[in-house]
Amino acid sequence: MITQMLFSRHEKKTVWAVFLILLAAALVPLANLLIPEDSPFHVPAYLVPLLGKYLCYALLALALDLVWGYCGILSLGHGAFFALGGYAMGMYLMRQIGDRGVYANPLLPDFMVFLNWNELPWYWYGFNHFAFAALMVLLVPGLLAFVFGWFAFRSRVTGVYLSIITQAMTYALLLAFFRNEMGFGGNNGLTDFKEILGFNVQAGGTRAALFAATAVALALALVLSSAIVRSKYGKVLVGVRDAESRTRFLGYRVENMKLFIFTVSAMMAGVAGALYVPQVGIINPGEFAPANSIEVVIWTAVGGRGTLIGPIIGAILVNFGKSIFTAAFPEFWLFALGALFVATTLFLPKGVVGTVQQFLARRNEQKKADAVEQAYQDKAAAKADSQLATLEPQAAE
Amino acid sequence: MYRAIQTFLVAFCLLVSCLATGLRAQEDIRPLIDALGSTAFPQKIEAVKALAASGDPKVGEILQNLSDGKLYAPKTGGTVYLEGPADGAYLDVLTGAPATEVPENLAKIKLNNGLRGAIGAALSQLTLLSPDRSARLVASQDLLKDANPDNLDLLNSALAGEKDAEVKATMEAARAVILLKTDASAEEKKAAIDMIAARGNRDALTILTAALDNAPDELKPAIEQNISSIKGSLAMWDVAQNIWYGLSLGSVLLLAAIGLAITFGVMGIINMAHGEMVMLGAYTTYVVQQTIAAVAPGMTDFSLAFAVPAAFLFTGLVGVGIERSVIRWLYGRPLETLLATWGISLILQQAIRTIFGPTNRQVDNPSWMSGAFEFGGLAITYNRMWIIVFSLGVFVALLLLLKRSKFGLQMRAVTQNRRMASSMGIRTPWVDALTFGLGSGIAGMAGVALSQIDNVSPNLGQNYIIDSFMVVVFGGVGNLWGTLVGALTLGIANKFLEPYAGAVLGKILILIFIILFIQRRPRGLFALKGRAVEQ
Amino acid sequence: MKIKSHVMSAFLAGALATTAFSSVYAAEDTIKVGILHSLSGTMAISETTLKDAMLMLIEDQNKKGGLLGKKLEAVVVDPASDWPLFAEKARELISVNKVSAVFGCWTSSSRKSVLPVFEELNSLLFYPVQYEGEESSRNIFYTGAAPNQQAIPAVDYLMNTEGVERFVLEGTDYVYPRTTNKILEAYLIAKGIPKEDILINYTPFGFSDWQTEVAKIKEFGSAGKKTAVVSTINGDANVPFYKELGNKGIKATDIPVVAFSVGEEELAGLDTKPLVGHLAAWNYFQSVDAPANAEFIKEWHAFTKNDKRVTNDPMEAAYIGFKAWVSAVEAAGTTDTDAVLDTIIGTTVPNLSGGYATVMPNHHITKPVLIGEIQEDGQFEIVQQTPAVVGDEWSDFLPDSKDLISDWRKPMSCGNFNVATGKCGGKGS
Repeated sequence: MITQMLFSRHEKKTVWAVFLILLAAALVPLANLLIPEDSPFHVPAYLVPLLGKYLCYALLALALDLVWGYCGILSLGHGAFFALGGYAMGMYLMRQIGDRGVYANPLLPDFMVFLNWNELPWYWYGFNHFAFAALMVLLVPGLLAFVFGWFAFRSRVTGVYLSIITQAMTYALLLAFFRNEMGFGGNNGLTDFKEILGFNVQAGGTRAALFAATAVALALALVLSSAIVRSKYGKVLVGVRDAESRTRFLGYRVENMKLFIFTVSAMMAGVAGALYVPQVGIINPGEFAPANSIEVVIWTAVGGRGTLIGPIIGAILVNFGKSIFTAAFPEFWLFALGALFVATTLFLPKGVVGTVQQFLARRNEQKKADAVEQAYQDKAAAKADSQLATLEPQAAE
Repeated sequence: MYRAIQTFLVAFCLLVSCLATGLRAQEDIRPLIDALGSTAFPQKIEAVKALAASGDPKVGEILQNLSDGKLYAPKTGGTVYLEGPADGAYLDVLTGAPATEVPENLAKIKLNNGLRGAIGAALSQLTLLSPDRSARLVASQDLLKDANPDNLDLLNSALAGEKDAEVKATMEAARAVILLKTDASAEEKKAAIDMIAARGNRDALTILTAALDNAPDELKPAIEQNISSIKGSLAMWDVAQNIWYGLSLGSVLLLAAIGLAITFGVMGIINMAHGEMVMLGAYTTYVVQQTIAAVAPGMTDFSLAFAVPAAFLFTGLVGVGIERSVIRWLYGRPLETLLATWGISLILQQAIRTIFGPTNRQVDNPSWMSGAFEFGGLAITYNRMWIIVFSLGVFVALLLLLKRSKFGLQMRAVTQNRRMASSMGIRTPWVDALTFGLGSGIAGMAGVALSQIDNVSPNLGQNYIIDSFMVVVFGGVGNLWGTLVGALTLGIANKFLEPYAGAVLGKILILIFIILFIQRRPRGLFALKGRAVEQ
Repeated sequence: MKIKSHVMSAFLAGALATTAFSSVYAAEDTIKVGILHSLSGTMAISETTLKDAMLMLIEDQNKKGGLLGKKLEAVVVDPASDWPLFAEKARELISVNKVSAVFGCWTSSSRKSVLPVFEELNSLLFYPVQYEGEESSRNIFYTGAAPNQQAIPAVDYLMNTEGVERFVLEGTDYVYPRTTNKILEAYLIAKGIPKEDILINYTPFGFSDWQTEVAKIKEFGSAGKKTAVVSTINGDANVPFYKELGNKGIKATDIPVVAFSVGEEELAGLDTKPLVGHLAAWNYFQSVDAPANAEFIKEWHAFTKNDKRVTNDPMEAAYIGFKAWVSAVEAAGTTDTDAVLDTIIGTTVPNLSGGYATVMPNHHITKPVLIGEIQEDGQFEIVQQTPAVVGDEWSDFLPDSKDLISDWRKPMSCGNFNVATGKCGGKGS
């Protein structure tokens, strides 16, 4: 089916995007590791985790776009799923430190030792196995989204009400994870990781591999999302977005459809978080901040919601801008960022991708219209000629 | 032994000094004054006590000067001087004549809490017989707090001549507390306990708890009974106090949210810049206060009266500007207003940071908003009380404006059915701009109130934006009454949870409560009634 | 897809441009110094001042002829109070801008976020804020106070001078207050204070409604024993806390509050008249009477063109850190990290309170502890000053860290040497 989809004519854009991402997955690590440093094609070591971070954000934005762009659920709490996935990965990485922590305690992470914890809390068990942690990366955000969505969609909470309670959710989690008693390291979070799957997280090779893994994950997510939105189910989702009640009256179980896409999207966000943590080297409750979730919405909007490539481009564009501006104009970059958001809404209401698409579509239409017009004019001219021809003899008369 | 002699001396000298001032020559206390300039605090405290004991008429003034930081001494100790009128000029402490041959390394005599307490106690002894009623009241309150048995005789003599009821009651309480500490007879102590217990407040509880340990055994049951009865009545008052705290928090939430109830609730704009409007209001207060302090220093107590309209107008104008330049292009696309207003909020924050700097600005409480008073067992601070009054006032005014004025009618018409309103001849763009301006202006007024209890910093708005949205959504979008009830409910619920769950967990519980509540009532507390299946 | 490839190429071009840009910079003959303080977001309120202070110190050093005959060049970035961004910016400063040392961070989270980066890329970070201890990195110098240089002397003062017998440990719910309170609790119990006379309470970040908490403090203080509050309340929440204290009429003579995060800068946003006599414990106050301090304040006022700008303790810590680095670089004759790491230990530079600060082998410094009382003008009156105390990174009052020591001199070179087992735990290189 996937091969069929890959070669389907409608998927050309997605295929190209997947191809480009996979190309990056191969080229960036190679350019980093193999090409000598003085070559202009060398990708410097600091850029690899940075690009990886952008791709994680892109994956998160893609996840949000699935629910917002295709189903009309504006989640202001997607950062929570991202962070939960990150914490699951962070817990695995913490357990991998083993007795190399500063207190050399074989079982307890450092932050528990100096706060006099005597045993590992039950929810930390199992995280020393990568497979378990990987499962939790999917399950924890998925389960939270499922339970949350189960209640919310069944009660038909929609629109801004839903947005605000998702925000309340991430805010409550933020406060909860700040508490040291929760056993997740309080505001300092989890950090100072050593190894992932036996490889040193700080080694260039591991970084490159993590980047490649992120790119592959993004490509897979893109394929999956594309499959979802192009399926019959995806078409109904758009129906839910545009006219929820009508879709319901047509006999679709709207709440189940929303629940499915919300849960899938949360899992994708969880994966993004899990890949993010080893690359930036820290996860702390700051990721739960409502402002972060709002930023994800903004990346998606800048790129263009309701297109699968838009959020990816938006996330990369905005974060790249942030990286440049915070160093180039540290005092004034917020003006630039704020102005970018205002300008995007005013002048590019469909986002970068949406606007370009619209422009291309219009040009195509224009071309067609031109062609029609041309044909019409040709015809008219021909007709006029013939009329003229028929008139001429009269005139001559 | 020394202490007993000192006690005797204090009582004796004070009495004597009252009867015959000027008994001792001024120069006798000079070494005591110079001891104030010594380097160690315990020595200074002894000097203060000895000065108070000397009974010299000048002592009151000297101690007052010390407490005001007007006395100087060499850093290594030595002769003490009084600060002169001009910089670098010093006076003789006793005569007030300009001092000659002043040493170079003079520094202000340092005070610490212990010394400050000693000065307060000494001054209260000296002012207990003052003709000024308020001075006597302060002195008797100090004595009540200090309750030094040395002061018993002094207190007795002061009580004999006291006419004012409040001062007398305080003195009697102080006397009762002192009696508990002395070896007075059991009856006297019993009477003292009853007298203190009758006050029934937390201070009484403190005194009784402290007295319990060294009370004679036969009095312990009486004390314990009084303690438990006071605790019982305090628990009742605690409920009332919690409601008051809740109302106060609720009124802050109401103020913060009510502007949003207009821009978000009525107009449907997801206004992320709302918090920044609040912040602009707070900064307006700062600017107004600075201006008034510079132009008319006598008016500083009334600066808020100027700040409220100024903040309303300024933020209202900013709001109109934002609406005209950005928001008006986005009607019918509510989610995109989120994006644009978020951008605006970033710009406004950074603009304030660039203009005023990132640190807190100082906005003073006017005197009528400082301090607290007791109402039964309630401790009520003036600033909180006025904020409750203010927020309710703003609410009522807004309600009247919406329901009773022509503008309110037009506004409701436009938000309910824009095209119909337009067909009826209402200038919808004009109404839109004014509505957004109104919402922003009210946020600005909220900023004036918040500047009284919170930081005035570029982050001020960020702290309130999430809570404001919660309140509006919880109460029901588009319903002002919902915002009122929502704000007060959340405020009171929060304050009842806080003592049990702690502030952090309490807040988490409130958020979970909101999430669950929205499941039960997906359109908030006061849902707008309508026939449409969906909006 | 066309768009996609365009964006990608633009992106790559941009990325290459930054690298090219920086290599141009590197060609100039200057010594670069990174400044990593948040200029926006929640921490800008505290950190912006430190950025200004660092710029002033660098300008000043350049006026004196720079360092090793080269000019110093400050590279300022804005990590925007976003902890992962701190790590990203740190990496950029070291890898792209090739800075020789970085001065920055305020919160522990930000320091924890950048720590692996500094260790990986072997660069230097000077951290100028008081913190909870329990850390010692080869690449970080902690020029602010460890708990034994602030919290414990303050509590001693309360017990000895003010006769306090009952303590409220009031803090914001995060790691610094948690750890400090843990240490203080153990210390107070060791000093014979019964457990029921210690009340520990936490509030969220940016907490602004203090009515219930202040009432609780008042109630706890009404048990007949002299009570004091030890406050580890963080930045933003302090102003509403003190306003509530003032309005509730809790005077310093009744229940004194001693704070570890309230300095001149925080008081600048407050009317301090009702707060006179409440305390703070730091290693520096603006009111310190020393010629070096007077000079520093004068320079600061000139640099900021504002006579009212206050100085505070983290500024002094930044000052000491900078001077120590300068002196170590001069001794080493190079800015190379390993060489500086060797020469900086034992370096002694004057501090601003008339004494000297020595960089110890545990990468902490010696500091005097000053207790100050708040005055009406927003300044502190120093009521006690101890001789210099060595910063104790591994607290003696926590069971798991009392056996640990840190010594970065060769041959030990270990940040967490366990004297009981005789091993360097974890990651000693």
